[in-house]
Formats: sequence, structure tokens, C-alpha cells
Amino acid sequence: MSFLSLIVKNLLRQPVRTGLTVLGISIGITTVVALGVITAGLKSTSGELITAGGSDFLVAQQGTADLSFSTVSEADWQAVSRMPGVAQAIGVLIHITRAGDNPFFPVLGIRAEDLARRAVPLREGVLFPPGAGDVVVMGDSAAASLGVGVGGTVLVDRRTFTISGIYHAGTTFEDAGLYAPLATVQEMTSKPGTVTALFITTAPDSSTAAVATTIEERFPNLEAVTSVDEYDEVDQGLRLIDAANLAISVLAVGIGAIGVMNTMVMSVFERTRQIGILRAVGWSGSRIMRMILGESLILCLLAAVAGSLLGVLATLAIAELPEVRTLLKLEFAPVIFVRALLVAVIVALAGAIYPAIRAVRLTPMEALRYE
Amino acid sequence: MSDAAPEPAVMVRGVTKTFERARVPALRGVDLTVQPGEFVAIVGPSGCGKSTLLHLLAALDVPDSGALVVGGHNLASGRRLNHYRARDAGIVFQLDNLLPSLTAAENVQAPMFETGRSRQERKERAAELLALVGLTGKERQRPAELSGGERQRVAIARALANDPPLLLADEPTGRLDSEAGRRVLDLLEELRARRGLTIILVTHDPAVAARADRTIRMLDGRMVDDGTAA
Repeated sequence: MSFLSLIVKNLLRQPVRTGLTVLGISIGITTVVALGVITAGLKSTSGELITAGGSDFLVAQQGTADLSFSTVSEADWQAVSRMPGVAQAIGVLIHITRAGDNPFFPVLGIRAEDLARRAVPLREGVLFPPGAGDVVVMGDSAAASLGVGVGGTVLVDRRTFTISGIYHAGTTFEDAGLYAPLATVQEMTSKPGTVTALFITTAPDSSTAAVATTIEERFPNLEAVTSVDEYDEVDQGLRLIDAANLAISVLAVGIGAIGVMNTMVMSVFERTRQIGILRAVGWSGSRIMRMILGESLILCLLAAVAGSLLGVLATLAIAELPEVRTLLKLEFAPVIFVRALLVAVIVALAGAIYPAIRAVRLTPMEALRYE
Repeated sequence: MSDAAPEPAVMVRGVTKTFERARVPALRGVDLTVQPGEFVAIVGPSGCGKSTLLHLLAALDVPDSGALVVGGHNLASGRRLNHYRARDAGIVFQLDNLLPSLTAAENVQAPMFETGRSRQERKERAAELLALVGLTGKERQRPAELSGGERQRVAIARALANDPPLLLADEPTGRLDSEAGRRVLDLLEELRARRGLTIILVTHDPAVAARADRTIRMLDGRMVDDGTAA
């Protein structure tokens, strides 16, 4: 018999209670994993957007709650275009609306000449020409989701657009939507003379960071986003999700620790006499403590494995929902599972420390007299 | 020529003990000397303090005052008691006090975790001790699957796990029928003869006490007869 097998035997004394405790903790871990995967996916999608179409960084209005609320005037756009170090500044007006059963369908307004310069590889068809009206090019995942193709039509905001081409940009956000003429989108959204963001490509001999800093200095109302870490400056939704993620992780730890403590306290109370016997035959307090912490750790590691599996299954199920199917990119980053493991270990230690200390503080005689 | 007396196995001097909730002291200045290899029985009515004394000798509790030296360990100091319990004294209770979820062999292995034996060594040692107490073939039985006498023999094997020089037994036959009790006492005598164990046994049964070399009588927390008078 090894020390580990003794710990496992102790857990198997009450298999139903052990199973229910594992299940309870694993629900918390599931939440942590699912939120982590979704948050990482959203960040990844945001990161893709920053460098979409081959641009080096993105410029948008500072401090907006959501990127789609950002407004950059055409005057600022032109001024940015003329700045030293800026090789290209493409303005895009982002409009999120319903198309088919997708309530978050991205409609991206862009000038025809900018679309031609932007790295948006066509799979079939052609780009819309300058001066086109209700003609669009559509991302391949959007086309697949809506079941349309080149020459077909799509109804957006009660306007029917003809699809001239299908592209695959390689970014979740672009491929889940369509590019339409900028003037048309400005008219649809009643935002004449504005765009949502500028996609900047710097000149070959210029530093991206230096150009971004210069833009921010010259236009205090604008934010240059060069990495996903800065993205929450123009979209506080990510910051909110991060905060929610942290809050839920803390709650999961708290609730999980109380569950583990309840189980371990009951287990230690029930086994007080047995602990006394082990002390009587020479077990040290530290070995008793290791035994109880070991039991708690195994409970929580089982919960971490079960919770991680359930979290993966839950996010796969969420990703199949029509509302998010094309926009949500799942990122199963190892750090998410490390965090789940860390939560499990914290829960194990927090939940077991009181019962372990109680068990160790009892003298062998006190424990042996316990009925 | 030196004829120095051997170091006593147990030396108790002026030991007192009062439990917090009790009105009267359990031990009131007990003195006792036990020589190595001696088989001593402590008798007396319920509440006389004999089990309290045994528990102090097993380092399950510490005295309020007095000296308690066993095998060179000053038990009254309260230090390194785990070490003492693991290596220097084995205890057998009236109730076998086996762990119900473990097999007989696993119960015998339990004290060995503190002495650094390998898993294989623990397994072999448990089999050897169960053979010594006549329980070969019962290694995988759980306590609930054994008779009272067999459980008590497992408890004796467990008490000997780390080869202690001192075996303490608290009414080891108290819950057994006369035949099972006789076999347990035979086993204790045999172990003493073969291994040179010092045995201190608490009992209220004169027939059990009669098996010992010396019988100590206690009354009201005091020793009234240390059994050395001719």
C-alpha cells in the first residue's frame, strides 16, 4: 500500500459524496474554462482585426464602449493619410446588423479603390467597381452560412444587395460579413462623412510605433491600436469580459472552496477516531495534514479534468449557436487550462486547510475518545 | 568487576494527571520501574487510573507533573512523541482500533510509513508479522471479515510493525471470549519469549494478570502494591 493509495481509499469510503463534490467544483471550473475560451477567441478575433487586410495597426475613436460606436471624420482620415510615415490609410465603416438568422452580421463600408488595395483575396467573382450602388463582396463563411453565392442576393436592413464576389480574408470578422460601397453604408447608417476606423499601413522606412504615437499626439480624440492589449481602449467590451472572467473565477474559487471545506470537514469529523489511531501508531501531524490535503487535492484535480472537458464541450456547443457561429472563434489556449488547474489547486488548499489544522491539533487521546 | 543494574525499560516518578473536566485527579504521584523483558500487569477497579497511566506510557497524552522516562525518551517533555510512538512503543487497545477501510496487511503497514520503509519492505514485513500472529492467508481480509480474536491479533501485529522494545496493552482480552482471550495471551507470552519484549498490560481480570511476572495494583490514582513485595 502506498501513501497515495491510502488517500484514494479514504476518498472511496464515501463514493457518492466524493462524486458530488467533484461535480460541484467541476461546474465552477467549467465556467472558468468556457469563459476563458470565449474571451481568448474574442481577443484573437480583435487581434486579427487590427492587422486585417495587411495593415499594421488600426486607428479609432478613443474610449468607445464598442468599436462599432467609433466615429472618425473624413477630415481626420484625410489628415492621417497625409502624415509622414503613413503609406496607406483605409477607412472602413462598420455596421453590425441582421442578415438571415444572424443578428450580428458585419457590414463593412469601404471605397471600391481601397477594397482593391486591401489584401482581400477573391475566391470567385469580382470586386465591386467605383460608383457601384447595392453591390457587395461577401466573406466565404458568411456566404456558406447564408447559403448564397456570386450573382445571388442578400437582404440587409431591408435593402437587397447583389453579390459580385466571394472572398476569404482569413480573419473571422471579415469572413463572417461583407464589404459594401462606403457611400451606401454611410447612407444606411445615416453617418455621412464618417468611418469607424482607419487601417494604417506604414511606409517601409517608418516605425509603426513612432507613427502610431505621432497620430495619437496630433489627434487626441483618436487611439492607435497596435496590439490586442491596447484593443480595449477602443472597445471596452473586452475589458468587461475580462473583468467578468476574473469575477467568475474568484466566485468559482470561493464556492468551490466552501464545497470542499464542507466535504473535508465532514470527512475529518467522521474519521476523528481513525486519525487518533494513526497518531497513536506514530503518524506525525505533518503526515496527517498531507493525507487530508492530498485527499482535497485529488478531489479538485479530478474536478479540474472534468470541468475542463465540460468547458470544452460547452464552448463547442455555444459556437454552434446561429447567433455566434460565424463570429466566435474558439481559442483553446493552454493558459486557460493552466488557470483551471490553478483554480482547482487554490480551491483544494483553501478548502482543506481548516479541517487539516483541526485534525492535527487534536491530541491522540482527544481523537481516540471522540465518538 | 562491574555489576551495574541494567537501565530500566520504564521509569515513572511522581507522575500526576488531572483531566480538565474531571473533579478528581486520575493519577496522584505514581512511581513505577519496569525492567527490560519484564511482563507486568496493572490491575485495579474502573477509574483507578490504570488506563491513564498506560496512555501516558504510550505517549498518547502528557503528565501534568513528574518524570516519565521510557527507553531513554523523556515523555513528560512532550517532544518527539511521534518518533517514540512510531518506533519505541506499540500499543494494543481493548477495541482493536483497526482502520475499517484497510485490509489486515494494510493496517499492519500503517505505522511503517513513518520509518521510511519502501513499499515492498512494508508489504513483506506485514506478511511476516501476520504470519507471526498466525494470520497467514488473512492478509487481504478487512477487519469486518475477521473474528474478534483475529482482529486483536492484527492489532498486535500492527503494534510490532516497527519492532518496538515495549508493548503496551489496554485490556486486550476484554472483548474476547475466554478461548480467544487465552490465545491472545499465549501469543503475547510467546512474543516476549522470542523477541525479548517488555510488556505492560492493563486488566481488571485476575486470571489475565496471573499470566504476568508482576502485578501492580492501583486504587484512586495511586499505586497500592507494585508487586515487588515477597
